Amino acid sequence: MDRAAVIERLTGIFRKTFGEPGLVLDDAMTSDDVNAWDSLTHINLILAVERGFNLRLSMRESRGMKNVGDMIMLLEKKAA
Amino acid sequence: MDYLDLVAESRTLDDSACRLQLRVAVLADVATQHLRPLLQVLFARRGARAEIYEAGFDTADAEVLDPGSGLYRFKPDIIVFLSGSEAAKISLYAAHDRSAFVTGAVGRITGLWENVRSNCEARVIQANFVLPSERAFGNYELKVSHSTGSLFAELNARIIEAAREAGHVLLCDLDHLAAEIGRRNWADETLWHLSKGLCRLDYLPLVAQALVDVAMAAQGRIIKCVVLDLDNTLWGGVIGDDGLAGIELGDLDAGEAFVALQRFLKELKRRGVILAVVSKNEEAAALAPFREHPDMVLREDDIAVFIANWDNKVDNIRRVQEVLNIGFDSMMFLDDNPFERGLVRDLLPEIVVPELPEDPALFLRAIGDRGLFETASYSSNDAERVAQYRDEGSRERMRAGFTNIDDYLRSLGMTARLERFKPFNLPRIAQLIQRSNQFNLTTRRHGEAACAAMMDDPAVVPLTVNLADKFGDYGLISVVILVRQDASLEIETYLMSCRVLKRGVEQFVMNHIFAYAARAGVERVIGRHVATVKNAMVSGFYAEFGFQKLGDDGNGTVTWGLAPSLYTPRPAFMASQTMEL
Repeated sequence: MDRAAVIERLTGIFRKTFGEPGLVLDDAMTSDDVNAWDSLTHINLILAVERGFNLRLSMRESRGMKNVGDMIMLLEKKAA
Repeated sequence: MDYLDLVAESRTLDDSACRLQLRVAVLADVATQHLRPLLQVLFARRGARAEIYEAGFDTADAEVLDPGSGLYRFKPDIIVFLSGSEAAKISLYAAHDRSAFVTGAVGRITGLWENVRSNCEARVIQANFVLPSERAFGNYELKVSHSTGSLFAELNARIIEAAREAGHVLLCDLDHLAAEIGRRNWADETLWHLSKGLCRLDYLPLVAQALVDVAMAAQGRIIKCVVLDLDNTLWGGVIGDDGLAGIELGDLDAGEAFVALQRFLKELKRRGVILAVVSKNEEAAALAPFREHPDMVLREDDIAVFIANWDNKVDNIRRVQEVLNIGFDSMMFLDDNPFERGLVRDLLPEIVVPELPEDPALFLRAIGDRGLFETASYSSNDAERVAQYRDEGSRERMRAGFTNIDDYLRSLGMTARLERFKPFNLPRIAQLIQRSNQFNLTTRRHGEAACAAMMDDPAVVPLTVNLADKFGDYGLISVVILVRQDASLEIETYLMSCRVLKRGVEQFVMNHIFAYAARAGVERVIGRHVATVKNAMVSGFYAEFGFQKLGDDGNGTVTWGLAPSLYTPRPAFMASQTMEL
């Protein structure tokens, strides 16, 4: 899936998961930058991403993402 | 019940109007943070505001053993013990002496129960263990007494055994739930390793719902009475039309499916759930299968309150409720007919009305499903309760109907089509003429050829009615044959499927008959009731429309007449697609 499409879909997922309708993604973004993003909602985010992109993330993939940029790159590779 | 939807719902949940308040403590060696919002939403749906106490991860022993702990200060009504199989597996694999593992684990759990009982009044909900899917011995697993599979099975069995002896302990059968989903789908190893999740998040709502169901049952919120429809619910077909030998029960057609449902209902009755019948039927016809059909599982004395008449079902369910003197929220209504289910849900919103699928083979699955028949106690007295209610039921006098269902009928978006016979419809017309016994004024069994001939006869106006509403298309449901004789218009045949009784079709049709009669310039419309053993329900039909009795031959045929100018059009709640007659 190309980068623009990933970002578009992922933005919708972030907005819904964290309840921030105006949220805009950038590559350097981490949980520190989003109020509602904590260890609890992170699990919800992973599930929403898995459903939204129709894939399953492995344990290494879930652990390995350091910021939103990593997540976008991973989804570009993995999502059909 | 979608996990993410429930989480979203929890963010805006307002449960302040809930009358019941429950203090629920969750003690677990799995992460419980994701459970909290689900519990709050699902408790609120059952009318309870839940205060949740989450103990720290894997702190059950410390909380329970210390009388001054946060747990006891919280003053819980319910304490949930939730244990993940992954954690149990770790201690099993680490155990030096496996033969002592089960005894040790059960001893610890029952010790917690005892301590809870000496320190507070809370009821305990103990979840059992989901059996692991991996098997080091393959199919040989259970042959080895100390294998993981054997020990987990034994652990669950011993917990159950201990819980039977502990009055304050209820079980939440997680292994049953996981088995229903499939244990491989249920488990989420990634989530366990990452954040000690109990199972895949998609199924966490089922865990929460099971806990809510058990907790609400402990509050006495249980189904005490099941109100049953008869035709196409307890047996296939329509007893009033098909007769005792014609209904599907036992070997006949789908009969086994209805027998299976009845067996389960009988089991509920043995448990102490009261069974009632509310059916649109003549009482004698409705009772006949209970008394005489060899394949009926349920018999007359299994039914505490038996109501068969032509009133709307809401009135009749109210009567059952008055006799039993229980809340509507402890009643369930089973009916194959979406119209009746919709009516009851609309006017009695508290009553539980499960959707029933089209296929009767799936009825049992629809109601035997999780959650509907929870209870928090059982004693042999429960089973005797039915007899006591039966006595009250037989004394009860029927009250007059009082529910106005016009609004509901308006909400259905009904469309009726009245039209002349069409060649395409002839087989269905002939079939309906053969099969209709109850709503059938003259019971004249015209065959297909005779019906075809009527289409070319200038003196005959042969009509059909089709009905559809938001629940679906009922197809061709009524046949009306009008015959012009000099200055009169005679209703030679009038029959209708009882499935669509009292929805305004009768009024709709009569309005059109009189509109036609007025246009045709006849002096009066003639109707007859020719009595049979099955059509007593329409003996007063013409009187209701203001017809005057013209004659009675003393042999069962009563003749009625009414001039078009004297007819008052009746309200009908349907859009008309009537063709030029």
